[in-house]
Amino acid sequence: MDLRHLLFTLALICANDSLSASDDLLQRPQISKCRSPEMETFSCFWTAGNFYNLTVPRILQLLYKKSNEEDWKECPDYITSGHNSCYFNASYTSVWTPYCVQLASKNEIHDKKCFSVDEIVLPDPPVHLNWTLLNTSQTGIYGDIQVRWDPPPTADVRKGWITLEYELQYKEVNETKWKELKPRLSTMAPLYSLKTARDYEIRIRSRQRTSEKFGEFSEILYVSFSQIGIGCDHCTEEVEFPWFLVVVFGVCGLAVTVISIMLSKQPRLKMLIFPPVPVPKIKGIDPDLLKKGKLDEVNSILACHDSYKTQLYSDDLWVEFIELDIEDPDEKNRASDTDRLLSEDHLKSHNCLGVKDDDSGRASCCEPDIPETDFSASDTCDATSDSDQFKKATEKEEDLLCLDRQDNDESLASTDPQSWHRNTPSENSLLWAPFGDSVESPRPSVHTQISNQNSLTSNDFYAQVSDITPAGRVVLSPGQKSKLGRAQHEGCTEQNFTVDNTYFCEADVKKCIAVTSHEENEPHVQEQVYNEDGYFTTESLTTTVANFGAPTAAPPSSETPVADYTSIHIVQSPQGLVLNATALPVPDKEFNVSCGYVSTDQLNKIMP
Amino acid sequence: MLLTKEGVTSLPICPNGSVNCQLSLEELFDRAVKLSHYIHFLSSEMFNEFDERYAQGRGFIAKAVNSCHTASLTTPEDKEQAQQIHHEDLLNLILGVLRSWNDPLVHLASEVQRIKEAPETILWKAVEIEEQNKRLLEGMEKIVGRVQSGEVENDIYTPWDGLPSLQLADEDSRLFAFYNLLHCLRRDSHKIDNYLKVLKCRLIHDNNC
Repeated sequence: MDLRHLLFTLALICANDSLSASDDLLQRPQISKCRSPEMETFSCFWTAGNFYNLTVPRILQLLYKKSNEEDWKECPDYITSGHNSCYFNASYTSVWTPYCVQLASKNEIHDKKCFSVDEIVLPDPPVHLNWTLLNTSQTGIYGDIQVRWDPPPTADVRKGWITLEYELQYKEVNETKWKELKPRLSTMAPLYSLKTARDYEIRIRSRQRTSEKFGEFSEILYVSFSQIGIGCDHCTEEVEFPWFLVVVFGVCGLAVTVISIMLSKQPRLKMLIFPPVPVPKIKGIDPDLLKKGKLDEVNSILACHDSYKTQLYSDDLWVEFIELDIEDPDEKNRASDTDRLLSEDHLKSHNCLGVKDDDSGRASCCEPDIPETDFSASDTCDATSDSDQFKKATEKEEDLLCLDRQDNDESLASTDPQSWHRNTPSENSLLWAPFGDSVESPRPSVHTQISNQNSLTSNDFYAQVSDITPAGRVVLSPGQKSKLGRAQHEGCTEQNFTVDNTYFCEADVKKCIAVTSHEENEPHVQEQVYNEDGYFTTESLTTTVANFGAPTAAPPSSETPVADYTSIHIVQSPQGLVLNATALPVPDKEFNVSCGYVSTDQLNKIMP
Repeated sequence: MLLTKEGVTSLPICPNGSVNCQLSLEELFDRAVKLSHYIHFLSSEMFNEFDERYAQGRGFIAKAVNSCHTASLTTPEDKEQAQQIHHEDLLNLILGVLRSWNDPLVHLASEVQRIKEAPETILWKAVEIEEQNKRLLEGMEKIVGRVQSGEVENDIYTPWDGLPSLQLADEDSRLFAFYNLLHCLRRDSHKIDNYLKVLKCRLIHDNNC
């Protein structure tokens, strides 16, 4: 029993499988398409499928119905359009009327379609394709042709019943991809730049103007230029990119450009290649004047130059700032022309450090020969103004301070030996530290220094040379007396000079010398003949010499101990320079050698 | 195939610029044909877009054996009929169809905006078709005035009562109503375009376009 059941189910399964397999192979009859070539007739085509055996012919029927009719009618013509087709001639065709067709056999409907004739218009292909040569290129490699054709004969274009547009496609014979021209209404089309050495194929298809689908392609038209004797067999292929010409022309163009630049824009080119080197100069000063020794003119020029400079500087912010900050007019007035001049020089030295190097020649005024005192002074100036917010302001104020200090001798209120100490190593970093707050707060060390310079040498960086002795010594013109404050005295005595490679201001040294000698010799200071400016006339020199000739009795270093500029006799380190004596005080044996800057006589007296 | 609006509207009214100029009949027909072609082009595109977006999967095609409201006007249905009808009658018929579409186009333009997420292209096409239809109507009246010998009879007209169907609450029914209307519009615009071309070839070019 079980075995029979099993066999039965197996048989059923096999039968089902076979049946289903046969169903998959069966294809139902389908209406493949309905088409009207000219909007006057239409045909419907179907596929019969393999549903029926061949022994039962024409069981399939095509029934149609217009929308306003009730009954289905059978196809009037099964033959004209071919096998498995139904042809509706003009009498059966109403263009804008909806139709429905269905494929049926006996009582079974296989397929159904509804449409209207104006929607199924697919025109026939154009006919009578031909081409004519328009022209050829000069080289004969390319040619233009005009292709003409006729509309499909079935389409009644002449009466305007149907409007067609055409699409032309062409390609070379051995190519695979067709090129298309855009659809056009006219029955002719030009083709440009065809290669005469090649053969072409052309085909055209048409569609109703407002439809999207095209009809079938026409027959292929073959275009061969050689047939009309134009083909250029021996012509070369497409001219390749003329690299040689490009290179030649490029080189020529470059050469022409370079030459034109060289010739036409030479000065500018020169400037570009050889930028002008700024020559050291001072504007407005003729170097010849200096050579001739016409000091008056030089002075006037310098004064003018400086005033000119102030005008220039007046454009700068910091100059204005300086002008604003000078609150005390008396200080200003106190400064003599020389002072101002020299202070300007002092300023100049500052500014030189700050001024960038342009071609004005101003930057060159920074003479490297300026003694290191300048640097220390400038450092202090920089240091003092460090607290300011703007660097320019700092520059202004440092200059301002320098100006102020130079002008204001009274501000030597207190000396700060420590600050002096800090300054002397000429460590910039140390310089910045003590000067914290306001600019106006007195900078004692600076004051000390500057005042030292001021008092002792009175702006001795630039001294006016009045004459040069035959011996080679410089005689300086008389300058302004500046006061010697006690601060200087105190400053020097309290200060401990470190013996190293430090540089001292001339003024400081002289002050030291003056003070020490002063101290050594006499406890009190005699300020009478103190010519701390360091400017000597010949008379003053002699007098001082005479005065200094008496070592003990003479009022000591109240007179300027050392000439500002004396010729150097010996350079002895670490003692420093040894100078020819002009007017030198007689130092004591306890003279502090660490000042480092002594005169010859001093040294002679010091050393055994 | 593109027919820009500019191509249609950039035609000068009077080529010489004179005030009392008279366009030739050929000019009038040229413009009329251009307008009718443009309207048909827009209608066709609008229908295709609507079909793509809303009609797929709803079985509209199967139901689309519809009847348009202009079906009551007996218009030529094939070439023979079109060739046999008198040009004045044909012109009057064209006028009648155009007038009959005036009202539906106005409502179409307004109602199509209420379709949920209607594409912008459909919206502007509806408005454009309505405008161009008015212009074509004016042009046709001019042509009729030129061609007609006797009095113009303007009683050819079919009223349209499809507005309620465009405002149905049920979305499917409403969309089907739109589908039908657009289908009819495409058909009638094609009809008018064809008639005008036939007339043009007949009257202007003597059947030798």
